[in-house]
Amino acid sequence: MSGKLTVVISQAQGKHPVKRGLEESLAAALLLEPGIDLSIVPHLVDLQPGHTGRLYLEGVTGDVVILGWLYPRAAFWLLDRIGVKGQEGASPMHPKAEDDEDLTEEEKAELADRPPAIGPSGAIPDRVITCLDLRHKDKHEPYVEEIRRILVETRSRRQTKQAQQAADRAPVLMELGLPSTGTNGNGPAKSFSAEELLQAPPGRRWYPVIDYSRCTNCLECLDFCLFGVYGADGDGRITVENQDSCKKGCPACSRVCPHQAIMFPEYKTAAIAGAPVGAIGGLKIDLSKLFGGGVGGGGDAIALAAQERDRELVKDGREAVGLAAGIPKRQTDRAPAARDELDDLVDAIDKLDI
Amino acid sequence: MSEDQVFAIGKHRAHLPGNFLYASTNHLWAARPDGSGIEMGPGVWRFGFTSYAIALMKDVYFLDWSLAPGLRVRHLEEIGHIETSKAESGLYCPASGILLRINETLLEDPSAINTDGYGAGWLYEIDCPEAPNHLIDATAYRKHLEDNWEHTQRVLKGGINSISDEAETQGDDNG
Repeated sequence: MSGKLTVVISQAQGKHPVKRGLEESLAAALLLEPGIDLSIVPHLVDLQPGHTGRLYLEGVTGDVVILGWLYPRAAFWLLDRIGVKGQEGASPMHPKAEDDEDLTEEEKAELADRPPAIGPSGAIPDRVITCLDLRHKDKHEPYVEEIRRILVETRSRRQTKQAQQAADRAPVLMELGLPSTGTNGNGPAKSFSAEELLQAPPGRRWYPVIDYSRCTNCLECLDFCLFGVYGADGDGRITVENQDSCKKGCPACSRVCPHQAIMFPEYKTAAIAGAPVGAIGGLKIDLSKLFGGGVGGGGDAIALAAQERDRELVKDGREAVGLAAGIPKRQTDRAPAARDELDDLVDAIDKLDI
Repeated sequence: MSEDQVFAIGKHRAHLPGNFLYASTNHLWAARPDGSGIEMGPGVWRFGFTSYAIALMKDVYFLDWSLAPGLRVRHLEEIGHIETSKAESGLYCPASGILLRINETLLEDPSAINTDGYGAGWLYEIDCPEAPNHLIDATAYRKHLEDNWEHTQRVLKGGINSISDEAETQGDDNG
């Protein structure tokens, strides 16, 4: 059995020399790896409908490894949104938030306490999609090593499955020394040239990505966003209906989401860009807040979200609504939470003469 | 002039020399480019990263300014971007005035920021028409670091999604 693994490098936006350098050395190394089908596409966020890179991804049916400049969770659910579905592959490179040893007991309890999520829609094909974050290491070797590990897993899973299938259909006579018909369920039916795959997207895109492993379908985002980005599908499930109605740079709805299920993969704050909450690991930290950016930003996510929304409304020539529209009721229903350490810190910072 | 100060970040010790002033919001040092000390007043001030900032960022890979010398800058305006082995960040102006000079060598090779942060690793000079009175001495800066260390650790841990990343345009609010 050939048992190939499809590996896709999703390029960084812009022409950052260090990032390009890693992409190139990684591509060069992977081309020499046996058992791997390598392709390079632009940044996943920018793949608009009809882009060759997107058509290619849609056509791949076997296991896939995606290497990109975004959090694995964001990459996985972004692919889900464009119909590239599968089981989420685990990688020791990116431990799950739940497995982070640095978590406090409270954080663990909070994770365990999550309300049931609605999960991805439709049928999930029996294949594994593993997303690796290229910001994690600055050398290509660890990625190549990890891809080798995934390839071994892919093959053993396929063998198990084939053995299972063979057992299921025994004793039908079919082993006649002929190659099995059909494909080995792997690459896309249609092939594209490297140039086609890399065709420059017309522009950078900006839109939310929903993590359905967290989303409870509370529809607060639908109420909050006044730009018509969200909608509900035939089954009443929340979807990002009009991606391109979203306002560039505005992450307000992700602040409103009570379950941190909304990600903006390109946003500067790790928690909004799809970092596993509480785990930063070796990833790059955004120090803007510490270096003087956003001074005056309050500690209240809802107030901040409303501010951000107002800014976009005014840009559009509409009236600012402040907290008067689409603000989740839980804010008023709930008794004010006891002050915690963070409240005190935020107040202390507000008081600082800066 | 303040005594030299040291702030410990885990095993790392950030040295805060007494012969510099500090912009605590931006973790930059300030000094007169002609070596004439740190007496407060208007005129040209040179700025660079404190060893505390460098300890958080580690090796600087890439420095990018969105402004050219000769342009007016406002306190806390975003003027550039930095990428390092551990972090990335917007860079925010430590004082209002005219951006006079940028350390061009760093654009090609930013390593001086790590090797000689208080000297050859200086970032830029700003001609301040009014004295940047919000600059503080080494002792006050060390105290600022101590007082904020807990909050800093939280930010470093991420997960605080209520923090705004937009550099809100702020006037001179330091009076």
